[in-house]
Order: sequence, then structure tokens, then C-alpha cells
Amino acid sequence: MNIEFLHAPANTVAKVSLKPGEICTAEAGAMMAMSGNTQITTTTYKKSGRGILKGLKRMLAGESFFVNHFEAKNKEAELWLGAAISGDMMQYQLDNESLIVQGSSFLACEHQVEIDLGWQGFKSLLSGESIFWLNLKGSGKVIINAFGAIYPIEVDGEYIVDSGHIVAFNESLNFSITKAGSSWIQSILGGEGLVCKFNGQGTVWCQSHNPSSFGNHLTPELKPIKK
Amino acid sequence: MTQLYYISITGKLLNNVEMDQAVENFARRFKLPLEKAQQMIQKAPVILKKGLDEDSALKYQQASKSVGLDCQISKEASQASNSSESLTTSQIISDGKALGEQHDSNQCPKSMPEHQFRYAGKPDYGFVTIDLPANDTIKVEASSMATMDTNIRMKTKLKGGLGRFITGESLFINEFTAENGPGEIGIAPATPGDITHQYLNGNTLFLQNSAFVACSMGVNTETKWQGFTKGFFSGENFFLIKCSGQGDLWFNTYGALIEIDIEDEYVVDTGNIVAFSEGLDYQITKVGGYKSLFFSGEGFVCRFKGRGKLWMQTRGTDAFVNWCQSFRRVESSS
Repeated sequence: MNIEFLHAPANTVAKVSLKPGEICTAEAGAMMAMSGNTQITTTTYKKSGRGILKGLKRMLAGESFFVNHFEAKNKEAELWLGAAISGDMMQYQLDNESLIVQGSSFLACEHQVEIDLGWQGFKSLLSGESIFWLNLKGSGKVIINAFGAIYPIEVDGEYIVDSGHIVAFNESLNFSITKAGSSWIQSILGGEGLVCKFNGQGTVWCQSHNPSSFGNHLTPELKPIKK
Repeated sequence: MTQLYYISITGKLLNNVEMDQAVENFARRFKLPLEKAQQMIQKAPVILKKGLDEDSALKYQQASKSVGLDCQISKEASQASNSSESLTTSQIISDGKALGEQHDSNQCPKSMPEHQFRYAGKPDYGFVTIDLPANDTIKVEASSMATMDTNIRMKTKLKGGLGRFITGESLFINEFTAENGPGEIGIAPATPGDITHQYLNGNTLFLQNSAFVACSMGVNTETKWQGFTKGFFSGENFFLIKCSGQGDLWFNTYGALIEIDIEDEYVVDTGNIVAFSEGLDYQITKVGGYKSLFFSGEGFVCRFKGRGKLWMQTRGTDAFVNWCQSFRRVESSS
């Protein structure tokens, strides 16, 4: 599986080249175009089963319940993947390790990479942003998308990131939810609310814009849902 | 701070000077090697010198015109960039390649049969300015006109008839005519994205309903009813505008533009199609099995067969609108 990014950073699109028999697993709805010989199967979580429970967990994670598997049949195939909102993408090579990815930032991975909900998912319920985390385990390539630019931060010790700006981080880092200001009142009035404090050694990838800030900015312009 | 100017050669030749002669004069006058002078003129429009005050800008213009090269003085936009970017001629030439490339994306192709035009803001926020010769008319998508000269007159035409109601395309194409002299018109598409141009020479292109920007009068635009199987079930407003005839055609995208040469078979999400050439046969199908149809998030796709060219965009309006859904307020209807 060979990944090429085009039109970065604003309108990034991932062009994935698949050799015959190779399978790429992608987030539901990410496919823009593909060669005619690509076969698509939709499963809850992984082709090999253990489906429903994992699927439910994925539903909890805010990630859609289903992922698509694209397989190149008989000959090479290409697959174009894009995201709904504008921004950059990155690829990460997992080498028998884990990467924690923010639910909506996951775009695609090689078939053998295991997708799971990390325990952080439950912790982050408290973070005030509706963010959940996927735990990508094993070895293989992973594609991650972001809203705006992606920039890595090497953490050695402690570092604070607003939870809406986190794209992914190494499993070697612990994180706790904390308040941004010195008092709770300050934190809430300051609009920062709760932030993530990272601890340990590893890399955090951040996105330059917070999707929910943008979404909330649009709220007054959108037609309300009548109930 | 005084207003600074930069001077650029347009590539047009004045006073019936022959190209070779102009290159030679230009090289001598600005003390350049012949080869580089030629490269610069070929790459025109190219910036000759930046960071000039008014007097020296005029001197440069005179010098350039005296060797038979048309040139333009333009105001420099930001004062801040002046000091860092004031390049001397020799610097520009040593960076000639980089500068040339920078210009390429905003430059009008050399062998332009009909209208002269220039782009701005490509590729993320494409905008096109088209030069209209006197009494010439072009067709522009309604409400896309952003700027124009005062001698350009607009006329609204119900082009395409009632079919345009169905396509979801705004009902009107406006016609802009340059009266009593040449003029220019700046056109800004509704979505942030790329803009591109094709010259139709008897061939036919199909455009997705929202991709149309402008065309010259020689191009016929007709909406093509897809039939229920092709249009209605696709879940998107997948209607096509058939563009045929002879002339310029501009179309835009939402997000970046990707060109694909289809050799046998290709599958594209209906929301990402911008345009395709006539030789392709297409069919709206479901993407995989029925499970995929409902849960893959792809729904219906377009399966192209044959040989031809396809343009697609990296984003879809539908996908973005979907993303926005979760931010809608909930109101109780009491």
C-alpha cells in the first residue's frame, strides 16, 4: 500500500495505490473514487469477525459503526480518499505499537492494523468535547486527517493541549483532564473549559483548528431541528 | 512610506517588432544574456522589477517599450513585503524558474484561441478575470460576477429553459457584453476551490450542475435530464449540463481539482464528479452489496466505462452539509 498526498495542505487528498490482493480499510464515506477493479466490503469492524461488540464500541466512539475494506482484485488499483472538512493529512507507520487517534481524525489504515476503542474513550467523556478515541494497534500504515494544519509536539514531561485540537498521540503518553485556569470559574468563563494534560514522553499531533469551534460558529446560521 | 510599484512585461510586442528583434533589444538594453532574455519573454507575463518608486517605474516602462515590449506598472500590495522582496533584475533571472512556476498556475495558456484571461488565488480560492474585446459577449453563471468594467452590460437570459428549474442550477445564465470598447470581468465561483478552463473545439463535456462558471457564446449549454435511474436515485442532485460547440469554457470545483484519464473502468462518488468527456459511458450503481449501500457511507456511485477524461473535486457539498448537521440547534415546537 503506497500513499501519496496531493493538494496539501488545504485540500488534501490521499491517493492510495494498492497491489493486487492488498486491502485498505477506510472510514465510511471517505472514498472519492477508485479503479473499477476495486472490491468494496462493508463490515462493522474487521473482516475477520468479532463484529457486533466491536461495532457497538465504534458506535460509542462517535466513529460510524462501519468501515469499508477496499481490495484490489487481479491487478493494481488506486483509491482516492478525502474528508468532509478542509485540512491536512499525515501518514504514520505503526511498528508493533499503538497510536491513539481522535475519532473523527481517522481516515484509513492497512488491513492488518487493529482498530479498537481505547480506555481513554471513557475518560474523555468528561472533557466536555464530544471526542472519543480509537486505538490503532499492530504494524502498518495509518492515514490521519485534520481540520486545518497538523503539527507535531514532542512531549517530554508535561504539556497541555485543548482537547479539540488533539489529532493523535503515542500510547506512551498518559493524559488527564484538567482545568485550564487556576480556578474552575476562570476556566469555564475563559472559554477553554477543560484541557488535556499529557504526561510522559512521546508525540502529540495537533490540528490548527478546532472542528467544534467552527461548528458552533455555524450554529446560528443553520436551520434548527424542530422537535 | 511611499507607494512602491512593480513592473511586469506582458509578453505582447509593440510597434510590429519581430520576436527575435525584441529579444535582442531587450537583452542589450537590460544587459542580459540572449538566452535568458528569450526565456523571460516566453514566460511572460513576468515581473521585471519590484520595489520601484513612481519615477523609476516610468523609466523602466519607457525602456521596455523602446525595445518593443509592452509592459505594465502595478502598485505593490503590501508595504511590508517591499523590503524583503525587492528583487533586482539579475535576482529575478537567477530565480527565473521559480518565478516562472509561480506564475504558471495563474497564467493564461499561450495558444489562447479566443478570450484572454488570468487567474488569481489558484488553487485554493480560484478567481478568473476575463478580457472581453469590444462588443463581445460571454455567458456567466448568475450571481458569479464579482467585478467588471463600467462599460459592460448585463442581460439576463432564461438559457436552458425550464430544464434549469430541475437541475438545481440557478435559473439564469447572465450574458455580459462589452459595449463601446473592451472591458474585463472578474468572476468568483460560489465555493472555495479551483477553477479551470477548457477550449471546446466541437467536442462535448458534461458538467455537474454546480460546476459551471462561464463560457463564450459559441458554447451551447443544455441541461440533460438523467432519467430516473441515473439522476433520481443517486441521492445527490446529480444533474448534468451538456456543453458543446466551440469556444471557451470555465468550470470550478469545491476543493482541489483532480484530473483522471480513464482507460477502462473507474468508480467515482457522485458528489465528487465535476466534469467528464463525452466518450465515457456512465452508470449509477450501488458501491458494493446491499450492506455497503446502506452502511458504507458511499451510497450510490458513478461507474465510468470507456476512454476519456474525468475531473473530480476533493470535497463534496453534501459531505460538508452532513458534517454541519450535528451543530444544528434543537428547538422544541411548542
